[in-house]
Amino acid sequence: MAVAEPFVAPRPAWRRPVSLDLRAPRTWSIIGASLFAVMTLIALAAPLLSPHDPLVPVGIPLAGPGHGGFLLGSDSIGRDVLSRCLYGMRASWFAALVVIAGGFLIGGLVGLVAGSSGGWIDNLLMRITDGFLALPAPVLAIAVVASLGPSFTHTLIAVSVVWWPFYARIVRGEISKLAARPHVEAARLAGAGRVRIAVRHLLPGALPAAVVTASLDVGNLVLALAGLSFLGLGQSAPAPELGADSARNLSLLLQQWWVPVVPGIAVAVLAVIANVAGDSVRNLIDPA
Amino acid sequence: MTQVRFVGQRFAAMVIIVLALAAAVFALQKMSPLDPVHARLGGQASQGAIAAERHALGLDKPIVTQFGHYLAGLVHGDLGDSYRTRRPVTTDLLAYVPATAELAASGLIIALVLAIAFAFASTLRVPGAALFRLGLMLGASVPTFLLGVFGILLFYQHFGWLPASGRTSIGNAPTGPTHLLTLDGLLHGRPDVTWDAIKHLLMPATAIALGPAVAIGRVLRSSLEGELGSDYVRTARAKGRSERQILLGHVVRNAIGAAVSMTGLQVGLMFAGVLVVEQVFGWPGLGLYIAESIPVADFPAIAGVTLLLGSAYVVINAAVDVIQAAADPRIRV
Repeated sequence: MAVAEPFVAPRPAWRRPVSLDLRAPRTWSIIGASLFAVMTLIALAAPLLSPHDPLVPVGIPLAGPGHGGFLLGSDSIGRDVLSRCLYGMRASWFAALVVIAGGFLIGGLVGLVAGSSGGWIDNLLMRITDGFLALPAPVLAIAVVASLGPSFTHTLIAVSVVWWPFYARIVRGEISKLAARPHVEAARLAGAGRVRIAVRHLLPGALPAAVVTASLDVGNLVLALAGLSFLGLGQSAPAPELGADSARNLSLLLQQWWVPVVPGIAVAVLAVIANVAGDSVRNLIDPA
Repeated sequence: MTQVRFVGQRFAAMVIIVLALAAAVFALQKMSPLDPVHARLGGQASQGAIAAERHALGLDKPIVTQFGHYLAGLVHGDLGDSYRTRRPVTTDLLAYVPATAELAASGLIIALVLAIAFAFASTLRVPGAALFRLGLMLGASVPTFLLGVFGILLFYQHFGWLPASGRTSIGNAPTGPTHLLTLDGLLHGRPDVTWDAIKHLLMPATAIALGPAVAIGRVLRSSLEGELGSDYVRTARAKGRSERQILLGHVVRNAIGAAVSMTGLQVGLMFAGVLVVEQVFGWPGLGLYIAESIPVADFPAIAGVTLLLGSAYVVINAAVDVIQAAADPRIRV
């Protein structure tokens, strides 16, 4: 007779006590992962950090970095590039987080339903997911925004629409692995309903993989959204937006390089922060 | 037999996905608040003219009939007329595709070269590999348009080595038969045209190549390292073969599969990069076309580009799967 061995999960890394030993890689991972919180705080505090109003001309136009009281220069009508970048970073950061949350919720739900119900529901949902995954997401997003009309909200909707399938695949994979585990069978024998099994016994096991994926994805999204904004699929003209600010000022590149370059660097800074933080989250949750 | 069946299944899946893409684009067109009749006739058209145009466009028929009509059009290469240029979208696309195809293909070649260099350098622990790796990683975190902009500042403005915009600076460059300037130059015995085209391609192609290069290189490196730990490598080492012989003679063939799949998937990212980088370099391709179509909500044009790039992506990935199955029979199971 087969005896089920007791399955004792090791205590996950993020539940172990925090030490401040700077030689331990885990300490660095915690510092790295906290960059998500730091960046969110900076984004929230953008109005306090900005020296000027991003929409109003406040000095001489096209002043170089460090001149005319502008740390990073001014643009063609005398607005502060630094303030515009801080507001733009705020918009990009929250946009990326919103799309991740959307993808996570929709994809997670689809993956959970598919993985826990099995049969034809699973088949149907996964075929739809595969269909989306078989198409180039950024190109599809462009078509969706174009049909809804260019606006910030529409861009967020469009990117969320093409971004969830990835999460559905991952959650579905985890769920179907978990569904064969003894604790799920035990719950079923104890009379737990399907919803209860899915939410209480399957979902918690699938979360770590989904969280790792999401945190590694923030950087990708920052770059993808900046690309769409660069193409003119974001907020309209006076709003500070990194990709669009760079695109609109490309003609100044050879004379006043800072006007198109600084917003681009701001995107790169966001992407690097997101990638470092994402890597750290992966190291914490899933130390391979 | 299984080979034929696999190809058949893959082909069927490809057709279904392209059909789904067409359905999605059709649905988006219907959802769009912009009325095509309005876009064609302008705001002052009379009721009668609007009704006549609706009828002429078939917009008064049931939606299923309209979709059937749309699909039949697609099969015959009819993507509708652009609101902006008033020409058939297919005609417009044909004019812009060669520039984009040449740029994307060059980007793919550069991405593969960099990915292979990256993977081998870090597997073989070549000195300086860490620096090269860091450079590629940073390059992949930088938005494509900024790479292009840096390239222009450095290689055009500072050094004056490379041109900053367009496909060619030669006025009487040949215009046929392939419309790819690098090839046409050779076919017409004009190496100067080819060389000039390569100089124009170098910066935009590298800008779109860095991100995919890192993604492909990572996959290739991890499968190379995985294979190096396997039993047949131990046997080969025991037989006294050099690391180089082992890597090139045994490991590469087994390790290449995942990297080839990744390359197919990265083509999608590369298409997005092409659209963006064309703005930076004034490249007369699909990116320029779509950028001019977006502000005026020229949906047929945008839908045409989407359908074209989406189908190209689906076909490329199906081809990748078939080639891989031919190379490695285990995949067909």
